[in-house]
Amino acid sequence: MKAFAYVNATSEKDAVAALKFDGIALPLAGGQDLLARMKDYIDTPERVVNVKNALDRTAAPTSGGGWRIGASMKIVDLLEHADIGKMYPAIIAAATDIGTPQIRHQATVGGNLNQRPRCWYFRNEEFVCYKKGGSRCFAVNGENQYHAIFGNDGPSHIVHPSSLAVPFVAYGATFRVIGSKGEREVAAAEYFTMPTLQNVLKENVLDDDELLTHVMLPAPGNVKTGHYEVRYKASHDWPLAFTTVVLAMNGGIVQSGRVVLGAVAPVPWRSKPAEDALAGKPLNEATAAAAAEAAVSEAKPMSGNAYKVQIARTAVKRAILNAAGIKTV
Amino acid sequence: MSEQNTGRGRGAAPQPPPPIPTPDPKYAWPAKPALLGTAVKRIDGPDKVTGRARYTYDINRPGMIYGRMVRSPYPHAKIVSIDLAAAEKAPGVRAVLAWKEPGAEVVYQGDPVAAVAADTEERARDAAQMVRVRYEPLPHVSTEAQALAADAPKWHSTQENTRAGVRQETGDLEAGFKEAAHVVEATYSTHVITHVCLETHGAVCEWDGDQLTAWVTTQGVHQCAQQFAQSLGIPQSNVRVITQYMGGGFGSKFAPDVQGLICARLAKLANAPVKLMLDRKEEHLDTGNRPSAFAQIRAGVTNDGKLTAFDGRSWGTGGAGANANFPLPYLYQFPNRRRVHTDVYINAGQQRAMRAPGHPQGCFLTEILMDELADRVKIDPVEFRIKNAPPKAPNQMWVEYFQQGARQFGWEKRHPTGDPAPGPIKAGMGVSAHLWGGGGRGTQAHVDISSDGAVVVRCGTQDLGTGTRTLVTIVAAETLGLPTSAVKAEIGDTNYPFSPGSGGSTTAASVSPAIRITSIKALDALFARVAPVLGTAPENVVAEGGRIHVKGDPTKGLAWKDACKHLGTEPISVDGQWGEGLSSSGTSGVQFAEVTVDIETGVVRIKRILAMQDCGLIVDKLTAESQVYGGIIAAINFALFEDRLLDRVTGQMVNPNMEWYLLAGMSDIPTIDIVLNNMPERGVIGIGEPPTVSTASAIANAVRNATGATIRSLPLHPHKVLAALEQQKAGGTQ
Amino acid sequence: MEHLTSPKVIVGVHCLNLRHKGMYVLSTPYPEESQFYDSYDATAYWCVKTQRGFGPDGLPVRPDCCQRERRCCDH
Repeated sequence: MKAFAYVNATSEKDAVAALKFDGIALPLAGGQDLLARMKDYIDTPERVVNVKNALDRTAAPTSGGGWRIGASMKIVDLLEHADIGKMYPAIIAAATDIGTPQIRHQATVGGNLNQRPRCWYFRNEEFVCYKKGGSRCFAVNGENQYHAIFGNDGPSHIVHPSSLAVPFVAYGATFRVIGSKGEREVAAAEYFTMPTLQNVLKENVLDDDELLTHVMLPAPGNVKTGHYEVRYKASHDWPLAFTTVVLAMNGGIVQSGRVVLGAVAPVPWRSKPAEDALAGKPLNEATAAAAAEAAVSEAKPMSGNAYKVQIARTAVKRAILNAAGIKTV
Repeated sequence: MSEQNTGRGRGAAPQPPPPIPTPDPKYAWPAKPALLGTAVKRIDGPDKVTGRARYTYDINRPGMIYGRMVRSPYPHAKIVSIDLAAAEKAPGVRAVLAWKEPGAEVVYQGDPVAAVAADTEERARDAAQMVRVRYEPLPHVSTEAQALAADAPKWHSTQENTRAGVRQETGDLEAGFKEAAHVVEATYSTHVITHVCLETHGAVCEWDGDQLTAWVTTQGVHQCAQQFAQSLGIPQSNVRVITQYMGGGFGSKFAPDVQGLICARLAKLANAPVKLMLDRKEEHLDTGNRPSAFAQIRAGVTNDGKLTAFDGRSWGTGGAGANANFPLPYLYQFPNRRRVHTDVYINAGQQRAMRAPGHPQGCFLTEILMDELADRVKIDPVEFRIKNAPPKAPNQMWVEYFQQGARQFGWEKRHPTGDPAPGPIKAGMGVSAHLWGGGGRGTQAHVDISSDGAVVVRCGTQDLGTGTRTLVTIVAAETLGLPTSAVKAEIGDTNYPFSPGSGGSTTAASVSPAIRITSIKALDALFARVAPVLGTAPENVVAEGGRIHVKGDPTKGLAWKDACKHLGTEPISVDGQWGEGLSSSGTSGVQFAEVTVDIETGVVRIKRILAMQDCGLIVDKLTAESQVYGGIIAAINFALFEDRLLDRVTGQMVNPNMEWYLLAGMSDIPTIDIVLNNMPERGVIGIGEPPTVSTASAIANAVRNATGATIRSLPLHPHKVLAALEQQKAGGTQ
Repeated sequence: MEHLTSPKVIVGVHCLNLRHKGMYVLSTPYPEESQFYDSYDATAYWCVKTQRGFGPDGLPVRPDCCQRERRCCDH
């Protein structure tokens, strides 16, 4: 680990000021991602800015009937938050299986959303890929069993690693961002960026001196939600694919819905075909199967991950059945 | 190299096992033991859970600095130049050395090239990054298929990619197939996994003049000392090796290893103690692995379920220039058979002995085939195995275990291949069998009894985490008639009498008799001194229940401490060694598995495992069972999760960590039931390896039983399960 | 030791630096072994001098090559 300067920021303003630096400055919160990257020589920041004391670590109700979650809130605190659990069950479902109890006690909401890809090429220093300033994605001709099956136009074929991003997008959350140029709000769905040659070094819209400070959740309204994850291991593993559905209901009929898939694309993948297949349909097994089929219709797997299409199909179907209250397995 | 094997093997009628040598009755294990076979908690358990136990990683010496190795990032390259100048000037650096010369060939990622030592671990790592090595990358081969391709590059500039193994033929293959009513023909395979010792390899080396003390995480302290001396060119009398506590070896820690040698040299150069522990990535790349195994098999069976013929062409890789053979067919009796094997070399770290070398591979390849054959003749897999198992003998209890285990496991509830239940979750059961040799000899020991009653047993064996320290304590306490708390076991140090390396499941069988015999010799000496006080002859005295008393009359005696007072200033101090008759070799086991498979995701969950196992005389029920638990959990990892993945393009490992190199967590481990068959008449037999052999096969057979789809290759990754289900839908997997 | 899995290393024929696990793990015979499978060589060899499966000359270490005329051999 290269020597670095450490700044312990205690306010949002100080944190932003410390990040505005003529060199590489990176924010540190729970440290579950950054420290590992530094130890493995993936990132060698000259300045590390501790932001966990600078950012809000609580959750509070908003005037509009929703909730506002501070970026420094620990996963375990989110997980155990009774009100959020009642109003947004998919968030709790997603938080439940993040990492291990140790990780959940250390990691933060902001860190989960902003962690860098878990792609094994990115995480090993030997592979100088697009995301490390190189000129190739090693997954294309290499070992891609855990890579993207949607949004595979490149140049990078990572899957977005955040478990929380998926339900946040599904619930229509907005992220509050501060930076040296002031403050802005970005819809969760717009926050995560598909890779292009220009922005491939990042996975979201944050500038180097910007920080995500809050997640604002709107009041969910009359919705049914479902969440389903498929994991290879039962404990401490990244999901192979998972899905959150948030369905606005009109009696037994789905009026409209959001279907968001995780671990399948460089961003939380909102499936328009699946949402179209649900709209106006009764919430039952046939609808779930049709929506799942629609969701994977636009899949473009790589050489070694076609099996993930079936897993994604199952995750979508079971998330919808879960929303319908139908036992899946 | 090719040779014909005709005389040896199962073509001839099976020989009965030789009689177990009878021990000198003086040393025989007690008929009514107080401690042996009971559940004794680990003597050092509290030290381990409280952190008082100091592993090699925990050794810190005054003035100690840290070593770090520089390794080839390329799977195959020629070293053009090594420039140490920048590293030498890096902050805190105390020593730098080149391990290879310019012009040398590196043949796998992780091949050691140079090393540094610095005053902190972080500085050592940073300085290692500053060693400038220029490589000329050479073409490489990273998979068996790449190495076997017609125009394949060579893994080494002067070596071939394959080497023919022993060719074996027994009986009349043609006649065997003619006799068969059904023939199964398929290709089976297992993959490369690494040892993943929880404590990584490494050492702390300290010189005092020309005397070297090395704390090494090793399976053989005396064996390490011998190798340090020979490789460093110093007298062995100048080397002391210490291993008090160890976090696993599984066959990969029989030597100082490159890092041990480098550690000693850095310590000499820097004139300071050096700690050089490998990190997880190095551990995956360069401390051994279990070779892969492939076999194209044709096998025949009669309508009434007798195996007739086996024709196998096998291959596998042990990495760069290392062997990869395994037993095949495994255990079951094919009277007519041929086997042709080829070792395949690739640019990857070399294999090392790994918990039952060869057996898990041979067992998997054979046992999946067995279920396929059983289905062809529509015979229950348990019954089919019984029909083809070797005859019963004390160390060959398979038939009994199949029968008893089936009853206990509820095998009668097993449905035929393919769970007929509706819904995506399918359940299934599988069975598999294994054997192991073991045996053990050669251990020496020393026992001191002082006038204050203190007992110290010294033995230069080592505790890999298996419970050897506890075993030494139990055997001595049993023999001396004392509680375990009254005996101090000192092990893991070359200052103590010689004991062999701990491997091949030989430690318990090698150490227990030595401790027994030496303790009895100590008692003899004690009785000679105490008998006159009791007014009787030494042969009329016994030690039991913490007392020395006249045989048959506990009232005529003394408490241990009071008896020892008569030693005065002349303590008992005796040496002894292993003797035959107290231990033997040969174990058998059968395992049952029940799994569920989600056929919409391909995810396998293991519900329960039942292990039937013998290990002769059980010394400690708890640590013996613990060996079985550990072996089964390791095999669950082999079956489902672990996979050393090399990038097919660059030849570099993509998962040299514990994040993507998957290992079972708590929730992945099923209920494990163990039936240990205590056979005191056979003496002590080790159990470290056998329980890990057949679990993966039982699991794979259970997956086949659940889904009706045959997966002939490990690990049972969802992609393989889904592919097998697809293939089955498209017209079957046969 | 006499085992199906490890060939004998002979002083005077093989290099004194040749090693395998079986040389350090002292076992007792398991005579019935040949009933269950034919002989096979699963052994990992190493050189004491290099502490690797490669000799000082960079070539693989095995009983069939670590003998007689190989230049790095120590008898």
